[in-house]
Amino acid sequence: MKKCVFGLGIAISALVFVVGCSEEQNFDQFDDLSVTPTLATSIFYLESDESTINLASSGSFYSEVFTFEAFNEEFVAERVLEGVITYQVENTTSKEIDITVEFLDEGGNVLDTEAFTIEADPAPLLERQIAYGNGGRSLDILRNTTNIRVGAINQSDNSSTSSQPDPKIILRSSAEFRFRLK
Amino acid sequence: MKKCKLLILASLFGSAFLSAQNKQLLYDFYEIPQSLMLNPGVKTPYKWHAGIPVLSGIGFQAGTSGITVNDLFANDGIDFTTKVRDRALYSMSPRDEFSGSGQIEVFYGGFRSANRPEDYYSFGMYGEGFTSVFWPKDLAILAFEGNANNLNRRFDLGHLTLQGEAVNVFHFGVNRKMSDKLNLGVRAKIYSSVFEFKSKRNSGYFVTTPGDDNILENTLVAELELQTSGFKELIDILDEDNNTTQKDLQKWLLGRSFFGGNLGLGADFGFTYQLNENTFLTGSILDVGFIYHSNGLENYTLNGAATNEGIEIILPEDLFQGNNDLWQELVDDLERLVPFGTDQNSFVSLRPIKLNASIRYNFGEGNSGGAPCYCGYDAVNARDFFDYVNGVGGHLFVINRPKGPQAALTAFYQRRLGNVLALKTTYTVDKYSFSNIGLGLNLQAGPVNFYILADNLLGYRNVADSHYASFQFGFNIISWNDN
Repeated sequence: MKKCVFGLGIAISALVFVVGCSEEQNFDQFDDLSVTPTLATSIFYLESDESTINLASSGSFYSEVFTFEAFNEEFVAERVLEGVITYQVENTTSKEIDITVEFLDEGGNVLDTEAFTIEADPAPLLERQIAYGNGGRSLDILRNTTNIRVGAINQSDNSSTSSQPDPKIILRSSAEFRFRLK
Repeated sequence: MKKCKLLILASLFGSAFLSAQNKQLLYDFYEIPQSLMLNPGVKTPYKWHAGIPVLSGIGFQAGTSGITVNDLFANDGIDFTTKVRDRALYSMSPRDEFSGSGQIEVFYGGFRSANRPEDYYSFGMYGEGFTSVFWPKDLAILAFEGNANNLNRRFDLGHLTLQGEAVNVFHFGVNRKMSDKLNLGVRAKIYSSVFEFKSKRNSGYFVTTPGDDNILENTLVAELELQTSGFKELIDILDEDNNTTQKDLQKWLLGRSFFGGNLGLGADFGFTYQLNENTFLTGSILDVGFIYHSNGLENYTLNGAATNEGIEIILPEDLFQGNNDLWQELVDDLERLVPFGTDQNSFVSLRPIKLNASIRYNFGEGNSGGAPCYCGYDAVNARDFFDYVNGVGGHLFVINRPKGPQAALTAFYQRRLGNVLALKTTYTVDKYSFSNIGLGLNLQAGPVNFYILADNLLGYRNVADSHYASFQFGFNIISWNDN
């Protein structure tokens, strides 16, 4: 009798599993999952008032190289698919100003240059978008960039003053990159 | 690969120890001694019982409330990424949950006191565990889409909620017949935690907005915590570079299962009350207790707030600063404002308290009829002890989970067929399913008892498309009360 109960128990257990059906599943589909978010962030911001520009003895009132390793961080360098860097230049001073942004590698070599000339006030907002990858400039520029050199030159005199209440030259920048996470 | 397999095995071992979740089929099915584990105050028609070691109680449960395996992995020719986006990413809510639990009795027995026949003692050891992960909707959308096209959207970091554990439980309980109408029971438990992890009550957000100065502004406000015990030791064993990994893993599991890990105390309480000749009211509250975690700890925190608009150079303030390491400065600032920390602080984790309540009405020929069905243990034939031929009723189950209590409501019908067979069928409504029909079967052949309980039977038509499945079975040897 005990054997019967054990046997019946096993049989019922087996039955439950056997009668359980399932549509055909394909777990290999997971390999096809594509996760490619687009992340956006500001990069750098440069602002100078007009008096600082006037105080510079020569035309160049700012030139600096600073480290910028966001692009060659391992995560970014390995996974970036494409991207756009957006620059905005706004000028309310009385000067025509040239701004140059250069991407440099570890050896100080210039990988990419973006130059802007903006007229004296009243000048419209200057906006430029530079594409990288996917038909744009090479992504290797970004991958190898470790420093950024920013230079600003006053192309006008160093005595005039703007009639604006708080005259400034402003360079804004942001990046929007698409990454492959999976 | 070997480590991966070991990790999966260890997880399964943990999952196999699953915490009793809703066991509506077993509850008050008192022909089965394991019903005592759900209500220490259930009727006990046994003189003694002994579970077949390791085989007396095996059960598992798995549930997904928002999506099924079939939704994603059906071989239907639809692009997998599209399915993930449409069926998971945008369809599931942060209250949707993936959960699994399991339990295995190592040994379990009970006996009626010779001196106080109204008392029935039970004891044993079982392992249980569970994992529960709530769908982190906002984090998933952020990972899938990014922030570029989600300006001004606050991604809620509080969506991150997960919990899991494996614990070995030693228990001893007393079931006492207080009167012809009332049975009370209490069980003491000692918990030996193998491992535990939990991350709940998180808060914070990430948002990208137009910047005040620069084009964009990213803001992170975070109050996140992950507490773990036992996990670091497990990872260290899996990471070790020698041939003793399996042996060390077994040693670690056994050590932590038998008081080598973190210990806790708890108790279960229950009752059965006969309202009238055919109506019974039962209730129980289980796992009122805690585990104090003091060893094998590794906790992780991310607390703080930061707003960032990139590197800022403002002239004339930043002229002649002589600092061109602005990038590192920015990174350092962020790490200072939102530090990622680790610590080994002790913590207490409360057990997931469970509440059961039921009402049962008996009817049909064969009921104990004129004789009080619940009279003295020594006064009735064991076969007549059972108070029903047909029973119908309702059962409420509530469990305390990381995002608040979860409830399940069950209607049941049970039927005895002679002295050998008892059946119970249930219809349950809970967050996983509105069509959960279960069936339980108890077979008694002399002293040998076998039971099998399966939930959500309709789901077996296509298991992969089921939101919920549970299965329990076991063997016992039972000696019924004397005539």
